[in-house]
Amino acid sequence: MTHLKEPRENALHIHHLTVNYDQTPVLWDIDCSIPSGNIVGIIGPNGAGKSTLIKTALGLVQPISGKTTFFGKSLEESRRRIAYVPQRESVDWDFPITVKNLVMMGRYGTLGLFRWPKQADHAAVNHYIEAMGLTPYADRQINQLSGGQQQRAFIARALVQEADIYFMDEPFAGVDMGTEKAIMDMLHHLKSHGKTVFVVHHDLNTVETSFDWILMLNLRLIACGPVVEVFNTDTLMMTYGKTYALLDDVLKISQARSQGIKNR
Amino acid sequence: MIDGSLLQFFTDPILRAPTIGCILMCISSGLVGVVVFLKKQSLIGEALSHATYPGVILGAMIAGVFEIDSSNDVLITIFVMLGASFTALIGLWCIHFLQHKVKVPSDSALCFVLAAFFGIGLTLASQMQFAFSSLYRQAQIYLYGQAATMIDIHIWVYSILFVCVTIVISLFYKEIRTIAFDREYARSLGINTRTVDHIIYLLIVIALVIGIRSVGVVLMSAMLIAPAVAARQYTHKLYITFILAALFGGVSGFLGNYFSISIGNALAIHFPTHHFALATGPMIVIVASILCLLSLLFAPERGLVIRYLRIAHFRYHCLQENLLKACWRFPEGKTIPFDEISKYQSLSPTYLRFVLASLAWQGWLLKEPAGYRLSPEGRAWSTRIVRLHRLWEVYLVDYLGMGVERVHRSAEEMEHIITPELERELTLLLNDPKRDPHSQPIPKEFE
Amino acid sequence: MTYSNPYTDQSFIGFFYTLLTRLWSLLTGNAVPDTLATDEIQLLVLAGVAISCAILGVFLVFRKMTMLANALSHTILLGIVAAFLWTQSHHLANAFEGVVNETALLVAALAMGLLTTFLTELLSKGFGLQEDASTGVVFTSLFALGVIAVTLLTRDAHIGLEAVMGNVDALQAHDMRLVYITVVINSISLILFYKEFAITTFDPALSRSFGIPNGFYNYLLMVLVSITAIAAFRAVGVLMVLAFFTGPPLTAKLLAKNLSQAICLAALFGIGSALLGVALARHVLTAYGVSLSTGGVCVCAIVLLYLGTLICTKWTMKTFMKSPLSS
Repeated sequence: MTHLKEPRENALHIHHLTVNYDQTPVLWDIDCSIPSGNIVGIIGPNGAGKSTLIKTALGLVQPISGKTTFFGKSLEESRRRIAYVPQRESVDWDFPITVKNLVMMGRYGTLGLFRWPKQADHAAVNHYIEAMGLTPYADRQINQLSGGQQQRAFIARALVQEADIYFMDEPFAGVDMGTEKAIMDMLHHLKSHGKTVFVVHHDLNTVETSFDWILMLNLRLIACGPVVEVFNTDTLMMTYGKTYALLDDVLKISQARSQGIKNR
Repeated sequence: MIDGSLLQFFTDPILRAPTIGCILMCISSGLVGVVVFLKKQSLIGEALSHATYPGVILGAMIAGVFEIDSSNDVLITIFVMLGASFTALIGLWCIHFLQHKVKVPSDSALCFVLAAFFGIGLTLASQMQFAFSSLYRQAQIYLYGQAATMIDIHIWVYSILFVCVTIVISLFYKEIRTIAFDREYARSLGINTRTVDHIIYLLIVIALVIGIRSVGVVLMSAMLIAPAVAARQYTHKLYITFILAALFGGVSGFLGNYFSISIGNALAIHFPTHHFALATGPMIVIVASILCLLSLLFAPERGLVIRYLRIAHFRYHCLQENLLKACWRFPEGKTIPFDEISKYQSLSPTYLRFVLASLAWQGWLLKEPAGYRLSPEGRAWSTRIVRLHRLWEVYLVDYLGMGVERVHRSAEEMEHIITPELERELTLLLNDPKRDPHSQPIPKEFE
Repeated sequence: MTYSNPYTDQSFIGFFYTLLTRLWSLLTGNAVPDTLATDEIQLLVLAGVAISCAILGVFLVFRKMTMLANALSHTILLGIVAAFLWTQSHHLANAFEGVVNETALLVAALAMGLLTTFLTELLSKGFGLQEDASTGVVFTSLFALGVIAVTLLTRDAHIGLEAVMGNVDALQAHDMRLVYITVVINSISLILFYKEFAITTFDPALSRSFGIPNGFYNYLLMVLVSITAIAAFRAVGVLMVLAFFTGPPLTAKLLAKNLSQAICLAALFGIGSALLGVALARHVLTAYGVSLSTGGVCVCAIVLLYLGTLICTKWTMKTFMKSPLSS
């Protein structure tokens, strides 16, 4: 399944990426390009490597082989242009911090060592808190927020970075309808400004209405392209249908050999 | 007095109590340690062992209040053990309360209870230091352990507790095994996980209470960890793990005790003016840790050194197969000169000669004056490699839809790995293909 | 040359009265007392320990690294032994009684902090061993080595006990130096790296995506913990410093609304426990003639403060919760 070549610059190019997580293969030889200015959905069954793909692109996980480039440049060169919204569960919400300070953390990447937030940073924080409808909660402690409000705070934190590419890991999981709409509106707003947004998604019913472009993963890349072109029953069956037992077996043996473990 | 024979440690009336006592204690902690390790709760042992300390002091103080003479070792031991169990159980309750009712993170709960109880114990000890000073000295030996002053009656006390531990583990063996590996599944089977948890905690407390006399409060958690970790490196089967952990525990107990007494005696000879007994606790822990380290490195299946040797062997095996494959490409029956072979290899000439020589020595190649030739067996082996390579390429392209230009790299890797069973599955799955994606013929399956 | 300790024979209230009078005369400039009383030295040292431990403890609690701090507090014993071998002090017993080479100790702390963290990671990542078992094996074996080394070198098993228990009552004026050097080091690190510590604690995935090296701040924290523990061992011993690392921060956690509040509250609670501890120990000595270990009493004070705060917050929450429900 290949995509049409776009004249616009590619926001993300993944070169032959193979990633192991906890010693089992999670992604195998992923290779694709995504043009900028799209809202991209990443779907696949659990354990298919969706979160791992994002984490590898951001340098949080080291791949076995392959690399990712952003607008043709490496991660190090493009960090300022990338924003990350991790899964909500990855954080301890009992930490003593207000919404405002949480959103301010988004600026820490650009502030650098030994510098404190300035007026401009505070103004930006207030602006994006308002954009996500959180102004009444700005001084509240994060453990007093609902799931939807927490997600919005996370997104405001990413917005404050004023990046060109956004990676969001399951932003729609466990949020109320109001938050879902607010997030969707924000995604469209970003797209209209030429930004690219990658969203790890779990709800197949909303794919066609939410995304322009889709990445379908199940250990390997099943499909990558515009939703209207590649999102169909065939690709869905390949993504969610059979598991490749033979491939799994061979990969597992390969893993064992490279670690010197005897296969039982 | 000590004539150096090991048997003496079991027969001499002064030596046998410490020796056998240590062995029993360490076997118990080894057994319980396996359960703790499986439940990934090694640090609870750490917290609870420190929590026994105030109980030790309390027990000694109560003994003092009842005016029990400090030479009545057994009675004091019983008071101390009861006190230790008591405060350990309170500590356990506090940890649970903090974790579940106050929502304190689990490690902070453990650390706080550890430090708090120990501090309370030290406060009590400081009071006791002047009130009941001889009993105080008795209680302080529980800090780092002192097996040397044990007598025969202690062996009976500890034996009974050791038997209790063994019986409980045997009775609940199935439940422990199921819960350790999959809690939810165990619950679905109807096993009362909470009761078994309580029993496991009780086991931990008993093992700690038995062990603190020989290893001491501060180091006791090591005996719940090291023998179990060592045992785990050798097997996946639970009952073997238990046996090995008991073995390692017992050996550590014996050797630790042995070394502490021998070194203590040696020091006493050289420094006759200083009067002290080398604590057994640290010695036992060091022996246990060394055993653990050796197991981590050299255990037959999982030892690190063994694994590196296996990796090196596999790499060498791949190298051999690649060379044979290179030879296969030449016309059948032709003698290949050395230079032809070395042209496409990135090895140093000396190493290449070595590998070729070893292949010849094993019969896969035939060494001739002009060069090398594949023997019939060598031809069979290399043909199989080529077959696997091309089969895999067909699988990738036809079955997984990969691009033709990318499959060669993967096949280079997988040709060394595919087993005969997987080969048969592939052949079946792909309907015994005759040509690979590059239109090269696929060799037939060898009978 | 004897001077009378103004705190002798003081009761609990009397202790605070004497303390405040002396402070007042110091501040107003009349009748400046020229030497610090033993109790005041103890108080100052413990307060210094409390401040350092509060700064680091808050991060330890939220990073869930308290048991690693437990490991470090044990392994520095080996560092102390090494420090004294290195400075060729033939009398290791002196380490526990007076003469101290501060640089050697700090370097030893650094080395042991790095070594312990490194070995634990080697076991858990290199050998694939469970995290909790790795920590357990590493620190117990290093601590056992330390105890044996101490016993062999000093030929006196009692010293090993002192390392664990400390001896607040033997503190002298010059002991304050190391403790306050540590306070300065910790405070400077906190100010310089406040943002980085905060973000690597709260959201390591995000900080990693910024290119902030999580590992560096982990190691830095562990090194600071080692330095603090080694500075405190003379006063409270290696195990009770853990009470200062965990108790006050947990108490602060019940009340604080943001991170800086948490650190300040933890420091206040720690200093408060030190005050209570020294005062109580003095009182018990005066009233009952029993000399309790001041360090131990401080730990009891920490526990009491925590329980008190816990009861107060839960009690207010219960009464708060009851009103809407009972309508």
